[in-house]
Amino acid sequence: MRISRNFTNWLVFLVVLHVIIAAAGFFAPYDPVEQDRDHPYLPPMHIHMMDAQAHFHFRPFFYPVRLREGSFDQYEEDTAHAVPLHFFTHAAPYRLLGIPSRLHLFGAADARVYLLGSDAYGRDQLSRILYGGQISLLAGLLGAAVTLFLGALIGMAAGYYGGWRDDILMRIAELFLALPWLYLLFALRAFLPLAVSPIQAFLLVVIVIGMVGWARPARLVRGVVLSVKERDFVRAARGFGASDFYLLRRHIFPETASVLLTQAAILVPQFVLAEMTLSFLGLGVPEPMSSWGNLLATLQQYNVLVSYWWMYLPALAIVPFFLGYLSLASALRHRIGAYKIGETLETEDNSSWSRT
Amino acid sequence: MQPLLKVENLVKHYAPRNSRSSSREHLTALDGVSLSIAPQTTLALVGESGSGKSTLALCIACLEPPTSGSIWFEGIDVAALNKNSQRQLRPQIQLVFQDPAASLNPRWTALDLITEPLVIQRRFSKAERTLRALKLLDRVGLPRKLAARRADELSGGQKQRLAIARALALGPKLLVLDEALSALDCSVQAQISNLLLDLQSSLGLTYLFITHDFAMAAHVADQIAVMHRGRIVESGPTETILHKPSHRTTRSLLAATPRPLEPQHSHALVNA
Amino acid sequence: MRYLLRRALHAAFLLFGVSLLTFLFSALTPGSYFDEMRLNPQIAPATILALRAQYQLDRPLPVRYLHWLTAVAHGELGFSFAYNSPVAPLLWTRARNTLLLTVTAMLLAWLVALPLGIWSAAKFGRAADRIVSSATAALLVVPDLVLALGLLILAVRTGWFPTGGLVSVGFDALSPLQKFRDLVLHMTLPVAALALAALPTLIRHIRASVAEALEAPFIRAAVSHGIPHRKLLFGYALRAAANPLIALFGFSVGTLLSGSLLVEVVMSWPGLGPLLLEAILARDLYVVLGGVLFSMIFLVAGNLFADVLLFWADPRIRIEASPK
Repeated sequence: MRISRNFTNWLVFLVVLHVIIAAAGFFAPYDPVEQDRDHPYLPPMHIHMMDAQAHFHFRPFFYPVRLREGSFDQYEEDTAHAVPLHFFTHAAPYRLLGIPSRLHLFGAADARVYLLGSDAYGRDQLSRILYGGQISLLAGLLGAAVTLFLGALIGMAAGYYGGWRDDILMRIAELFLALPWLYLLFALRAFLPLAVSPIQAFLLVVIVIGMVGWARPARLVRGVVLSVKERDFVRAARGFGASDFYLLRRHIFPETASVLLTQAAILVPQFVLAEMTLSFLGLGVPEPMSSWGNLLATLQQYNVLVSYWWMYLPALAIVPFFLGYLSLASALRHRIGAYKIGETLETEDNSSWSRT
Repeated sequence: MQPLLKVENLVKHYAPRNSRSSSREHLTALDGVSLSIAPQTTLALVGESGSGKSTLALCIACLEPPTSGSIWFEGIDVAALNKNSQRQLRPQIQLVFQDPAASLNPRWTALDLITEPLVIQRRFSKAERTLRALKLLDRVGLPRKLAARRADELSGGQKQRLAIARALALGPKLLVLDEALSALDCSVQAQISNLLLDLQSSLGLTYLFITHDFAMAAHVADQIAVMHRGRIVESGPTETILHKPSHRTTRSLLAATPRPLEPQHSHALVNA
Repeated sequence: MRYLLRRALHAAFLLFGVSLLTFLFSALTPGSYFDEMRLNPQIAPATILALRAQYQLDRPLPVRYLHWLTAVAHGELGFSFAYNSPVAPLLWTRARNTLLLTVTAMLLAWLVALPLGIWSAAKFGRAADRIVSSATAALLVVPDLVLALGLLILAVRTGWFPTGGLVSVGFDALSPLQKFRDLVLHMTLPVAALALAALPTLIRHIRASVAEALEAPFIRAAVSHGIPHRKLLFGYALRAAANPLIALFGFSVGTLLSGSLLVEVVMSWPGLGPLLLEAILARDLYVVLGGVLFSMIFLVAGNLFADVLLFWADPRIRIEASPK
């Protein structure tokens, strides 16, 4: 496959994003479950370089906060004590790909720094967003893997064998495509046992998401298989005595790779969004595990919505991923040259509104 | 002497793709075709598009099952064999397709393409296969350094030589060439047809040479059969067909063949 | 005609299949509405048994399905355990609310997308087109959950719009004009969320199909005949671009009931979405079945509608479909 520069740029962008999330332990100053009951619902802190006496400091610092007199949720800065930020500090232990470490990008010694504010239990939102990304992204990636695997399998079987098998499989696919996917998602998840451990809940979410979206990739793969299996080089291989399995493996499947890759780029962000939606509604990953979805769930409380705007920030975390993945998909498609109407209708919906 | 290939009353119907037509209608591609080829000779099958030539090629190469009739190869009815036996017989009958860009997977290297038949038939070790592939490259007149190149990097003529090399990999007795030269430039056509003639004499091959070009047929074939709408309308030795055609199809095909310029015309062109 | 009949049959098959799937699904999975009740020591087991018998939960599966099917054929959609009332009227009110939202949003979206998309295609590759494309790309990247929540926060911080519900408390006491204003205010945010979410894909499709039509050889021939650009665009290109757009329109109609679930839940709009979510969580079987059936009918009707429109608009389909 010839790679275009646009494609590589976006790929690098995405890889960087994923590395940041994967190394959440390093980039996050604190453990996401660490509570600080003295500082609930802290707004994001200001980082200063210039102090109250107009002196410039090279090392950024912040002022610890305390509750304002007579208020229960208004904070003010204690300008008497400046707490400097240190970089590459040692703090709470974590595991990066199984290797234990205590190195964090930044931190502070005497007070906690809340760059993005805190939640009801005083947990650092930045840390929770970073760690939550691990869960949400993983769910999206695994879900996409399941869907593409199912879709490729069914699409190849339907396209290659044809006949009644093809008819039945495509009818079932049509049924799945016709169902509103959000409904299907909820129904599938909600009808399965609700009170399960976080790991089980996560796996359930992945399986459910994976099983909802196989129909579209299956149809696309089938299309490719139908056109490829009549090509002369497949006929030639059959003339040498190749088995069906050989043909599928060596000639037909490689042709589906570009379709599958493009679908992957489109499905991953959609599935991350699916996990977010499920968790937001209480059907996904439960506390204390954080995912972008259940971080947003607090917004369903009216007082949070009114007074604590920074609790919305986890929602924005997914935007760069959408940007990266959709641009990647676009770059892939332009390379394949498949910008026809029929295919865009098939591959481009990404909101529950325009998706059938 | 027993013919190498004998086709008897071959009929091939295709079911209509359009599901709305009644099930009784079918497309008849072959309407009782009979021919035979003697070993180490070339039979040219001439006809216009749609006459059923390619369908015949596919049936003989066991890539399409005939509706009825028999195909005798060295006395065995290949059409009646089961899949396994067919697989064992396949090395003997090989097909060279018209468009090498389509019949060679463009992403594969020349080496992979030539050794593919050997891999599928599970013959020899990897080293032995590579050796044989290089020898085949020599035989078809391709430089060995092309072995590592991808198919889509080769020219049309080189690709077709590669396709022929691949077809020879399993040591076939019968080579079916389905319009194998039609997609090539004229000069390249001449080179490849000479190559084919050389290979025939050095390897003792038998050819079924399918073409719409009578001039080409005249150049390579011992016998010619003319096909029209799924039937053989005339067949016989090359000389006879060329000079004493009897069927009107043969006559019209011959009339349509471009002839080289007469001496006085070329003189006029040079002086103009 | 036979073509349309086949499409209608196809639609019926879909409906049947989906209802079967939903029924099987809800019936086969563990848990039922009465599990909660069982945990409550105050309710005697005998009462629960009686209730189960009343709702026929103890009969075998095929019997229950057939029973439900025949009931639906008579227009009876069953009984809601949670609301203790028949399902049909419940669904109607909620569906009406949903439609209010989605029809408005869809009209708005199409009204904005059509001119933008056509204009963008006419100025393909030039500055105007690039601006529109960047704007849609930017919008595309913001998923509907993020958009809806964002708008909600906007409402709360500015106080310009109410943050939920269909109408304010004390609605009935208002004058008709005030009532209208109140409704519109409540509708603004959810409609905005839905329309904004739909806009980018819509604009892209319209732009792509009009641009493709403008590339066609027959347009170039028309240009060489000296036909003015405006006439070209509206008289010729649009007609060629119509097919995929009509299909798209049909799809849009199809999602009128099912596409707004998330927005309704986030914005506390009393539509079909929140009802269904609630019912799924509470295992309120007949509400779920009825709700899914409702949405599916719309979806299928939408597709059928698109088929009919295409049949009427495109002579090629008519010819292909007629008996030979």
